[in-house]
Amino acid sequence: MLSRVADSLYWLSRYLERAENLARLVDVNRHDALDSTGGEDNEAVWRPLLYATCTETAFTEARLEGDPHATEVGAFIMFSHRNPDSVRQCIATARENARMVRDQISEEMWLELNSIHLFMQSADAEDLWRRQPEALCREVIKFSLLFQGLSDATIVHDEGWQFVQLGKFIERADKTSRILDILTYFTEPERTELASVLRSCSGFSAFRAEFRGDITLPNVMAFLLFSQSFPRSVRFCVRRLDGVLHAISGVPIGTFSNEAERLTGGMLAQLNFSSLDSVWQSGLHDYIDGLQQRLNDIGQRVFETYVLLPSEIRNVNRADGHRPQLQAQQQQQ
Amino acid sequence: MFENYQKDHFFDEMFVSGDHDVFDFYQPLRERFDRLSEAELSEKRRRVDHGFLEQGVTFTVYGDEQGTERIFPFDLIPRVIPDAEWRLVEQGLTQRIIALNLFLHDVYHEGRIIKDGIIPEDVVKTAAHYRPEMLGVQVPRDIYIHICGSDLIRDGEGRYLVLEDNGRCPSGVSYLLENREAMKRAFPGLYRKCGVRPVDQYPELLLKTLQHLSPRTGQTPVCVLLTPGVYNSAYFEHTFLARKMGIEIVEGRDLIATDGYVYMRTTKGLVQVDVIYRRLDDDFLDPAVFRPDSMLGVPGIMEAYLRGNVALANAVGTGVADDKVTYAYVPDMIRYYLAQDPILDNVPTYLAWKADDQKYILENLERLVVKAANESGGYGMLMGPSSTAAERAEFADRIRHTPRNYIAQPVVPLSRHPTICDDMAIEGRHVDLRPFILYGEDVEIIPGGLTRVALKKGSLVVNSSQGGGSKDTWVLYR
Repeated sequence: MLSRVADSLYWLSRYLERAENLARLVDVNRHDALDSTGGEDNEAVWRPLLYATCTETAFTEARLEGDPHATEVGAFIMFSHRNPDSVRQCIATARENARMVRDQISEEMWLELNSIHLFMQSADAEDLWRRQPEALCREVIKFSLLFQGLSDATIVHDEGWQFVQLGKFIERADKTSRILDILTYFTEPERTELASVLRSCSGFSAFRAEFRGDITLPNVMAFLLFSQSFPRSVRFCVRRLDGVLHAISGVPIGTFSNEAERLTGGMLAQLNFSSLDSVWQSGLHDYIDGLQQRLNDIGQRVFETYVLLPSEIRNVNRADGHRPQLQAQQQQQ
Repeated sequence: MFENYQKDHFFDEMFVSGDHDVFDFYQPLRERFDRLSEAELSEKRRRVDHGFLEQGVTFTVYGDEQGTERIFPFDLIPRVIPDAEWRLVEQGLTQRIIALNLFLHDVYHEGRIIKDGIIPEDVVKTAAHYRPEMLGVQVPRDIYIHICGSDLIRDGEGRYLVLEDNGRCPSGVSYLLENREAMKRAFPGLYRKCGVRPVDQYPELLLKTLQHLSPRTGQTPVCVLLTPGVYNSAYFEHTFLARKMGIEIVEGRDLIATDGYVYMRTTKGLVQVDVIYRRLDDDFLDPAVFRPDSMLGVPGIMEAYLRGNVALANAVGTGVADDKVTYAYVPDMIRYYLAQDPILDNVPTYLAWKADDQKYILENLERLVVKAANESGGYGMLMGPSSTAAERAEFADRIRHTPRNYIAQPVVPLSRHPTICDDMAIEGRHVDLRPFILYGEDVEIIPGGLTRVALKKGSLVVNSSQGGGSKDTWVLYR
């Protein structure tokens, strides 16, 4: 398939996974804020979210410049145009990518994505947010799950589908590690925070079953990093990533034919065979930083392997981002 | 529904002149609409519009930071064309595309038509889209314009006239196909009752037209559609056609030209491309040959093309044939190359570069439509009767200054068609017709075309960029 198409499918899926994770994070946080002493709008409760999404600076700037969505963190994450990773923007970007590959996705996938996009752009969405914020979050999460179901059930599981999986699992691994990182924001995370992190990863019940409700920091870390079977643990995601990369190249698992496969295999081996001791040694935050760095590297290597030609790798940045847009608009008859 | 309808003094597509009778081929339509309540019609309209938005059948509004997408306004009352009338149009268009292609071959080779004094050399060589690079080049199958969209209008007597030929990258066919789907959903019974010829074979015919050009034989040709990208207003159409043909839609950056061949980059490496349906103007095609600042094209693609290793549809340099000054000579071309009389007439055209014509134009500006020779989309136009003195003075100046760039035509009272307007009132609005002509092994024209309608009361400009909408066009079996 066309390299650009593979790239679009990958980002389409990454952005949707991102939107889902953000919506869940906001939902859980809103819910927990109710239990905190300062009430729902207590900003201290929302701060860790900015920390986890790396948008502290963007939020402060947007607020200084009077962005109407920067009066509260939740709205900033859901709607702000100044936040490139707001849920609204993520869905818009995903939909933009989908427009470029409409021949690769099913009619049902397009219809659902387009309709959630139109909804998120509308005043109705903001209205719903004011009246029933949890309903809006659920709407986004439900859509993402529906979209995943549709991509499993309505398109052929060929190379394009593998790129969709690739985007999903790399993003999910990244998000789980970031959510876990919230715990390093507190000197000594308490039960509320631990439970909140589990819920943000949709993993509270699964955790209870695995650890019989013993909510401690080591258990939560072990679960979200190393669980064999929980589909949002970093290890699970990287294992799937490894499988997908090999399905694309056709090379047997355990060997590698490109850098992306080599890095993923190495990361998986480490996750398979390491214990919490190694996490303590480097410190949770640094350990997570290391994971994120490796995931970034894998993403970059995928791009170099499947999208760029060898001669272009040194020269990735396009000089002028805006001009193609102006020129594209001139062609009409 | 139609009781308050005013025909005024225009030719009406539906109503017979003089009274409230409709042409017999409109009878079933009238009966169906007479049975509709305003609320039902309004509901049908809401559903159709919603469908377009949901499907993403939209165009991008330029100059809007948010990248707003709009649906192309669609009118639910279809235009009906009886079989006999359509046959004539079809013959006229076929004759025209053949002549245009012979002309293009001629001006890029022997130039007989110039030597024989039919068309002045100046007119040809000063056309903005004349490409000296194409002199002496053998194009695949000797076809230049493979896809043509000639705009037709009907005058006060209902005669079909050609208003212009679009022989570079005409757009609009996806709206035609989507309009048809929408109408079949909205009025299934009426559609069946009327007996309408289908249009959905277009993508297959287009693909056959493209495959016909492949330089490589003995294998299925690799055809691609080259788009300027997602920011182009017709991007929806590009993805639509590529999807329906089952070919790749590529941008310039997906292609690479080396050693005289064009390849596309895939996840499995480079794949050679045989035929490119390009929706990109000549200017932007190859920065190594044309505009060096083009970021949409493919450096080296011209070399591959000139060597015959890749085919382009349409060919490079076809713009010389759809120049508005060249247009005035098409009837002469038909007589010259085919020794036939034109089946479809042109609108009478005055050429500002001719002294007599210029004098006439300048003296009659308020009665004429003045057009720039190389603009499209309804830009660069002066509508004499509705112009201000200042606008006329400005155009007079431009005409004196660059006479080659201007033509003028009398204001043709375009035919009107009943159209649903504000508050669901049905009023007459001016329409034109853009049929799509394919020239491959044979000339194929899908029945009908895109009927464009000027939604603004009294307006004669049908372009979507100027407040135009569209209708489905029903060519009947009988």
